Amino acid sequence: MVLPEVVVGMVDVKLENIVKTFDGTTALKGISLHIKHRELFTLLGPSGCGKSTTLRIIAGLDYPDSGHIYFGDEEVTYLPSYQRGAVLVFQNYALWPHMTVFDNVAYGLKLKKLPKEEIRRKVEWALELVKLKGFENRYPTQLSGGQQQRVAIARALVVEPKVLLLDEPLSNLDAKLRLEMRSEIRRIQRELGITVIYVTHDQEEAMAISDRIAVMNVGTVEQVGTPKEIYESPRTEFVASFMGKTNVIPAKVVDRQGDRVTVEFESFRLDGLHYSGDSDKVVLVIRPERIKLKPGENTVSLEGKVDLIEYYGFFTEVVGIFGETRLIARTISDREVANLRPTQPVTFYIDRDDIIVLPKQL
Amino acid sequence: MRVSKWSERFFGTPLPDPVVMVSFLFPLLYLIAFLVIPVIVMLGTAFKYNGHLSLYWFKSIFGSSYYFNPLHPQGSFVTLTTYNGQEVYYFSGLDFGVVLNSIIVSISVMILTTILGTTFAFIMARYDFPGKNIMRILLFIPLLVTPFVNVVVVQKMFLPNGLINWIFYQHLHILPKPIWIDGLVGVVIAQTITYYPIVYLNAYASFINIDPSLEEQAENLGSRGFHLFRTVTFPLALPGIAAGAVLVGIFSLEDLAAPIVFQGSAIAKKLMSYQIYSSFVSGFAIGNPQMAALALVMLTIALIMFLAIRWYVGMKQYAMLSKGGRWKPRVAKPKWWQALLIAFVAVPMLLITIFPQIGVILLAFSKSWYGTWPTGFTLDNMKALITQPDVERVILNSLLYSSVAIVIIILLSLTASYASGRFKKAKLAPVLDSLATIPIAVPGIVIAMSYFFFFSTVPPFKGTILDPTNLIQFFPGAALILAYSIRRLPFAARSIAAGIQQVHVSLEEAAMNLGAGRWKALTSILLPLISLNLLGGAMLSFVYCMSETSVGITLGSINSTWYPITAKMRELIMSAVGSANLAAALGVFLMLVQITAIVLANVITKQRYSFIGLT
Repeated sequence: MVLPEVVVGMVDVKLENIVKTFDGTTALKGISLHIKHRELFTLLGPSGCGKSTTLRIIAGLDYPDSGHIYFGDEEVTYLPSYQRGAVLVFQNYALWPHMTVFDNVAYGLKLKKLPKEEIRRKVEWALELVKLKGFENRYPTQLSGGQQQRVAIARALVVEPKVLLLDEPLSNLDAKLRLEMRSEIRRIQRELGITVIYVTHDQEEAMAISDRIAVMNVGTVEQVGTPKEIYESPRTEFVASFMGKTNVIPAKVVDRQGDRVTVEFESFRLDGLHYSGDSDKVVLVIRPERIKLKPGENTVSLEGKVDLIEYYGFFTEVVGIFGETRLIARTISDREVANLRPTQPVTFYIDRDDIIVLPKQL
Repeated sequence: MRVSKWSERFFGTPLPDPVVMVSFLFPLLYLIAFLVIPVIVMLGTAFKYNGHLSLYWFKSIFGSSYYFNPLHPQGSFVTLTTYNGQEVYYFSGLDFGVVLNSIIVSISVMILTTILGTTFAFIMARYDFPGKNIMRILLFIPLLVTPFVNVVVVQKMFLPNGLINWIFYQHLHILPKPIWIDGLVGVVIAQTITYYPIVYLNAYASFINIDPSLEEQAENLGSRGFHLFRTVTFPLALPGIAAGAVLVGIFSLEDLAAPIVFQGSAIAKKLMSYQIYSSFVSGFAIGNPQMAALALVMLTIALIMFLAIRWYVGMKQYAMLSKGGRWKPRVAKPKWWQALLIAFVAVPMLLITIFPQIGVILLAFSKSWYGTWPTGFTLDNMKALITQPDVERVILNSLLYSSVAIVIIILLSLTASYASGRFKKAKLAPVLDSLATIPIAVPGIVIAMSYFFFFSTVPPFKGTILDPTNLIQFFPGAALILAYSIRRLPFAARSIAAGIQQVHVSLEEAAMNLGAGRWKALTSILLPLISLNLLGGAMLSFVYCMSETSVGITLGSINSTWYPITAKMRELIMSAVGSANLAAALGVFLMLVQITAIVLANVITKQRYSFIGLT
């Protein structure tokens, strides 16, 4: 239920070449991003990659050394946080312990000097949105972690931000609550149609919640795309290895025929793979679920031995050893693995189109 | 607006922010104007002879055996003498010259307070025994500051007919002859009894803060008893104990109460603090550059001690390594021999050390005190507090000065703690942080001395109400308020800084992010959240403004209309017989102020009273 008077998050966010250094180390090395309005956009990366710094710079809590930030057509690079309207939900929620839930949520509205009645109505709306009606007079310490999180979100939404910023919002919640809040955030975003920039280090969370993802690594953006694009067509070795469990095999290009190449690793030779990079030093990225134990039409095969079999319930992983290289295959068919035992010979089959060849990076 | 490099470098904010700049500049300029520059002006006097830069005044100190006599000490530590026809051991101490006497007294007090304070702290932190709670309350009594009069009681206790001989010579027959403690030894004993609670509090906090698992692991590996204490417990508590001891050393160095009370024995006057003080009261020696040089020697020693302990404690931060969780401290039942030691050594020691405060109360309610015990119960002294105009007057004066000073102190500590606590990367932050804590290490008499030179020579203050040589217009209250606001700043500043540290910066950022300017974020978020620390720190500072001694009895005693309480107390104990009882009544009043403040602070802030300083 959306009150018609509340219009939030209707703005594009553009970052152009943002550079930021802390004590001589460069935290952001020229970040450029274009976040479209009404989009849930995620900054994903390991800790220290600069994703939170980027978020704080968008919020106006830090300022870049160079570069520009635009909200729509307006440049906001050096606009103080309180004039910016990019509201951040802090990782630790930052609820004020000396104020009730109502006062926490009403804080931003009181600053706008709205009439009392309007403030009351809007706070009520926001608390209803996050399903916390009736908690107005509690203090933050009387709430559970999940409830505190909801107050923080309500407090941010009620001021009708141009863009809502979420900094690792689920990291302080337990596993069950995390899933619940994840869909809750998605629901609110869809319902209000607001622009959300979301920071997380959890690739699964990012995949589940985002319209688009920017994968960051040591102060740079490695790839921007939809979850499907990022997962299925990673453009760098880092992105490939960061997005879930995967096999990464260093290899060498030994023959080129247009954009089809033959690569070699250990004593294995795989031909007909798609690759258009320049470097001959490459890595082969193969998702475990794309490795089959039966041949197909367009498959290459690798012969080796079974190293380990790990049973996960709804799937089973077979770790094969090929020379010195270990590869993981994931299968949901119990029958295929029923007869496999460690040290027995095994053949892995992979469709040529499922092998992603990328220039060696790390 | 653009990022400004200089604003980021000096103030820690990339965009110049007036609130942040004021937070840095107000306390910084205030401390420079009323602490740094006055000391520098005094420095100038001390290093000048006949208009030239010279070490003349320092040579005159270290070249004279009166001030510096390391090789041929005069007098004897203890002599056999007669008192009222009876042979007694008379302790007065050796005279190594003013400078060395001060250092020796200070070191002796440090050693004795460390032994006393650490022992009590260990007993209270680690043992559980019947009556422990009573002991805890009793240990609180010596913390009460009663300038001069508690030393008067100590002096009486250690006379041949005093309490100590009454117990140990007359009744227990432990002493072969009565003892009489006077002179420098008297100063050491009086300061030890006055200051050991500082070591006790620091040591107690250190013992309580040791992660029990560290000791349990040592026991688990086979260490126990004294070996465990020597190898694990004591080294971990040492930084805290040492910090307390050094503070005591500095307080001993600058103390005036004990030398003034013991000045009947000439050797007690041969201390740096007394020498500088006497140049003030004798009048003709005032403004003597030699005294400025002596004040600098004293300041240098105090600063070296202070900086050394800061460096040492900073280096030994490992003691805090595993801090974070709350744990149950290790408390054990004492073994039989430990119980005996507690009952027959520790408890009597404690009772002796709280006797001065009890004695002050007895003195206040009695007509005279010549023998072991005071005689003649009376309420006259207490009544005088509200009926005798000159006594009433000094109470109102002190309340006025302290109240104004506390307003300044609150403003200074809020701005300084906010600036140096929130903008740690600013170049000015460490400077401000040091300047706000260093007054702890600057002896009060040094401040008095430097204010004298500063206000009487430097425009625009020369010739104003702050100029002590301007006898017609000089208003001591103004100088006292400035001195109080500097000297008592660290108490409130520390408390407020601790409060700011506990409030996560994201709480203010959230407010600013939601549309609040910095000022609004400070007043609506930070200030309410640290209000209890503010209140606690302000009360502590207020209490110690009320009992401030060094500046009060020098600059503050130039015009009797404007005496603070301590100036009146000094005058009373030095004048006619019976006046000491009135001084004791003022001491009781100060104790009441302190108890009220401490109880209030405990009730309101629910925090343990953890830090205390004196004089």
